[in-house]
Amino acid sequence: MRDIIDSMANQGASDTLTPRRWLQTLAKQERKRLLGAAFCGVLAGGQTVVIVVSIAWLIEQLVVHGRLAMALWPVFALLVGSVVMRAVFQWGHETLSLEASLRIRQLARTQLMDKLSALGPVWLTSQHSGSLANQTVEHIDALEGYFARFYPQLRITLCLPLLILAVAGWLDYLVALFLLLSAPLIPLFMALVGMGAERLNRDQFVAVSRLSAHFIDRVRGMTTLQLFGRTSAAQQDVWYATDGYRRLSMRTLRLAFLSSAVLEFFASVAIAVVAMYVGFGLLGYIEYGPSTSLTLFSGLAVLLLAPEFFQPLRTLSQHYHDRAAALGAAESVVNILNEPSLVSSHTPMAPNSPTAIIEIDAVCVAYPGRGHVLGPIAFSVKQGDVIAISGESGSGKSTLLALLAGFIAPSSGDYRRVADSHYAWLDQQPCLLHGSLLDNLRLAAPQASREEMSAALQRSGFGPLLAKLPSGLDSLIGERGVGLSGGQAQRLALARVYLSKADLVLLDEPTASLDQETERVVMSALLELAQEGRTLVIATHHPEVIAAAQRHFAFEHGQLVEVVA
Amino acid sequence: MIHILRDFRPWLQLLVRRRRRFLFGALLVWTTLIAGLALLGLSGWFITASALTGIALGLGMPARLDVYVPGGGIRFFALLRTTARYIERLYNHNTVLTLLADLRYRVFGHLTRLDDASLHRQRASDWLSRLTADIDTLDNFYLRVLVPPVVTLLSVVVVSLFVALWLPSVALLMAITLGLLWVIVTLVTATWGFSQSHQQVADQESLRRLVVDQVQASAELMSYRSAQWHRSLITTQEQQAHSNQRRLGRKTALVNCLVSTVTGLLVVAVLWLASLGFTEQLVTAPILVMAVLIALGINEAFIALPSSFIKLGASYAAVRRLNELTSVSPLHEKQASLPEAAGLAVNVTELSLLYSKSLQPALDFVSFQLPAGKRAVITGSSGAGKSSLASVLTGRLEPTQGDVLVGGERPWQLAAESRANHFAMLTQSVDLFDDSLAENLRIANPSADESLLWEVLTAVALADWVKQLPKGLDTAVGEKGQQLSGGQARRVALARLMLRNPSVVILDEPFAAIDAATAQHIAASLDQWLANRTVIYFVHQISSLNLLPGVEFHWHLVDGKLHQYLIE
Repeated sequence: MRDIIDSMANQGASDTLTPRRWLQTLAKQERKRLLGAAFCGVLAGGQTVVIVVSIAWLIEQLVVHGRLAMALWPVFALLVGSVVMRAVFQWGHETLSLEASLRIRQLARTQLMDKLSALGPVWLTSQHSGSLANQTVEHIDALEGYFARFYPQLRITLCLPLLILAVAGWLDYLVALFLLLSAPLIPLFMALVGMGAERLNRDQFVAVSRLSAHFIDRVRGMTTLQLFGRTSAAQQDVWYATDGYRRLSMRTLRLAFLSSAVLEFFASVAIAVVAMYVGFGLLGYIEYGPSTSLTLFSGLAVLLLAPEFFQPLRTLSQHYHDRAAALGAAESVVNILNEPSLVSSHTPMAPNSPTAIIEIDAVCVAYPGRGHVLGPIAFSVKQGDVIAISGESGSGKSTLLALLAGFIAPSSGDYRRVADSHYAWLDQQPCLLHGSLLDNLRLAAPQASREEMSAALQRSGFGPLLAKLPSGLDSLIGERGVGLSGGQAQRLALARVYLSKADLVLLDEPTASLDQETERVVMSALLELAQEGRTLVIATHHPEVIAAAQRHFAFEHGQLVEVVA
Repeated sequence: MIHILRDFRPWLQLLVRRRRRFLFGALLVWTTLIAGLALLGLSGWFITASALTGIALGLGMPARLDVYVPGGGIRFFALLRTTARYIERLYNHNTVLTLLADLRYRVFGHLTRLDDASLHRQRASDWLSRLTADIDTLDNFYLRVLVPPVVTLLSVVVVSLFVALWLPSVALLMAITLGLLWVIVTLVTATWGFSQSHQQVADQESLRRLVVDQVQASAELMSYRSAQWHRSLITTQEQQAHSNQRRLGRKTALVNCLVSTVTGLLVVAVLWLASLGFTEQLVTAPILVMAVLIALGINEAFIALPSSFIKLGASYAAVRRLNELTSVSPLHEKQASLPEAAGLAVNVTELSLLYSKSLQPALDFVSFQLPAGKRAVITGSSGAGKSSLASVLTGRLEPTQGDVLVGGERPWQLAAESRANHFAMLTQSVDLFDDSLAENLRIANPSADESLLWEVLTAVALADWVKQLPKGLDTAVGEKGQQLSGGQARRVALARLMLRNPSVVILDEPFAAIDAATAQHIAASLDQWLANRTVIYFVHQISSLNLLPGVEFHWHLVDGKLHQYLIE
């Protein structure tokens, strides 16, 4: 099983993983705790058996044999002891399964996060970050109930009824036989409950998600509804839609609830049948088998054991929705785990030429599902180069830059890079983290001091704004840069480049969609960086940037051609 | 405590409106529980009575036992429990779904009154999914938190009274013990777990944000080799969340143990006390057994309570977030209205707009005059303030400073209806609803007949395309209009606009993603429709003045400042 996880983490599971198998693999990791939890559950159930049997015995002693409670104190003490022991075992059951579920979720989240890094920026930017966060946080948390409740309870359901059956058989074999006869029905019930619950969950899931989609659809279009003055009609609509789904799902629920009703029915009937049998047996109406030797003790004990026999199954059916929820969540996570990784898991070889930082040789790029997108290309970046790459949008500039950055592994050809090189990255829409200016700068250099950060901000032209901020570097900036204009965001991103001191700077259209002032700031920064002796690779169509570059390559009909000025 | 109740109150009032349904639902839950207790108690009584009668008969003493009444009772309670449980589940699910409709209706009502700034701030789709999750939490509140404690308390009272018929002292013990236990598993448990379950929601939120950052900043994190640093932030946050969950889980386990111990010890105590009563011949053996068995069965009423109440803090977090929505400053319910004129003059003087969290004004002393029935174009790159200006002009935002008069009135002081009638705006991002093409068009004009729909579709050069679709006007456009291309969606939105008869029209990038030839066709039909209306085009840059016929003014927005250009 370890191999499966390793292969999943490393090479992105070319063998497809199914939700069920993934859950099993995860359970294996915490097998001991989960089994311990189930064992504690069985022991707690065992204490319940002891409790009901002693109660039955005490009642017979008190009522039939006329003994005094005082004289029976050791048994009362045993009873108290059992009650306490049962609570202790329950504690063990709950805390062990809690711990297992926490650890499993941590493991699952680590797997998913590893996979996300292996998929790399190119894949991630094509996805909706909100839903990826949903999968990493909510969907992994949705596994909780399955491991904390359903999984141990399933094991308990397989053991505890057998134990109860054995005790009942010792007391009265006819009752045990009655329970045993219903035992083959138990798998049938489980299937029934399972099917019912599964369908119920599926139907409910579909109905509820469709309903939520309708609601979200209308909320999303609120501006349009307001503009057309249609808000009250839409509000009515929301009510009707929800109510319509209610009527529709009630029809399916009527059937789906029947399966659990059957289980309730048998649990109730078991009590009734045992009560009648024991009662008539004690009255001497039944003269068959063990019924003649029935006593108040054995009669009461089997009466109290009968519902306990069905209890584990009833608990299981209550937790069934946990399983459905976990399977649903696992499916969405497994879909990601099954995606082929884009980032190479190997460390690249060193370049052949001593002056080169990056060399690519006869490299082609293909995206899964989209096929060949670039190449073959040969290209090398030497220390101190200032390279401009131009071309129509969609011609492959960004792909080449992503390839140089190592965001995508080439599908064929060689990619060689100086070992341990880190580089600065600046693109059209700089990403701002949800946090303070400090957090945003730390991204480029986690170890940098506050002074260095302030200096970098001054250099990038962010200084005047920084001076205006009351909390300075600790000022919070919103998600996606709410509160900062596009130009300010780009200056902040530029400060990251200054801060990082990386030798190689990769820039993807750094001057696009900027106001003129920021554009000037970025332009002079580029020149300054070049003078510092940093190596720059700039994808751009800006004539001034191209003019400032030492070398200029252009994409023409899918080919990368050096333009000689 | 008081502010918690105050936060819950509006939502509880909503539940109270359906109190009859709730009470009946609770009654069904209670019936199920009592039927189970009665089944167990009566069975115990019957067995003991049978045993004693059997012994008496065996000793040759005269004894009689009516087996039919208790036998019938046992069968009755067995059936009652099953049926009541089935009906209860159906009935309460129905209630929960009805409630869901109520809650959504109410929340949607609040959302309709939000202004543009609040809508934009909260537009992210994860906010939307959180909103639905919060509504679901409140929805579950009824079945998990409101009904069970009432049912439990009622059962405790009824059971104690029943036992008091024979054994008052035992009944008193039961009432006091179970009453205290009830207080512990509801109020005390809720308080005990409150901060942690509240924290759990906050933890999840922080973890989410970090993951979103890790995804969105993946290029930067990978380049600067800081991905591991950021991962360690996530790991730390996760560990913090897990240790919080661990504490909460242990607290739940502890309360569960308490319930199990207290109910277990109660059974022992009831047996002990009742046996004393039996020795003093205050009570018969069958009644004694019945009392013990009822005490044994009552724990079922308590089992589900701790895990629901310990999570009260999480429900509170949901309520708080929903309350935030209702407290956001709603659009002014002003009653001013505009005259019925074809075009209206627009006068903007020294208009400034500063968003609450922003460092720089989105609009900075903007002034311009556009006479009635004239057309203007305002250019600017994204983020220059075009959308903000459009929002203020249509009264969807109130300016921080300065004044705007449209037809002599301030747009944000107009009644919503008058505003909708006089202004029409093509927004930058087009909202299409998951419905048919015809329904999407009829949002603009519910009474439009088919010929009118075809007319506007022809105006945007979509009629031929729609005609060849198998379902024609009934074609579903999909969620967010995904079944259409960007250009098609924009044309549908334009067609929708043409179904209205506004005085002032604002068109934000009307020709984005539309090819040149089609754009030319649409510009011509727009020109006809726009006759006599006051029009403002917002565009990135002017590609061709042919697309903007009749434009007499050109202004350019840079970082919230307006510059005048001359039309050549």
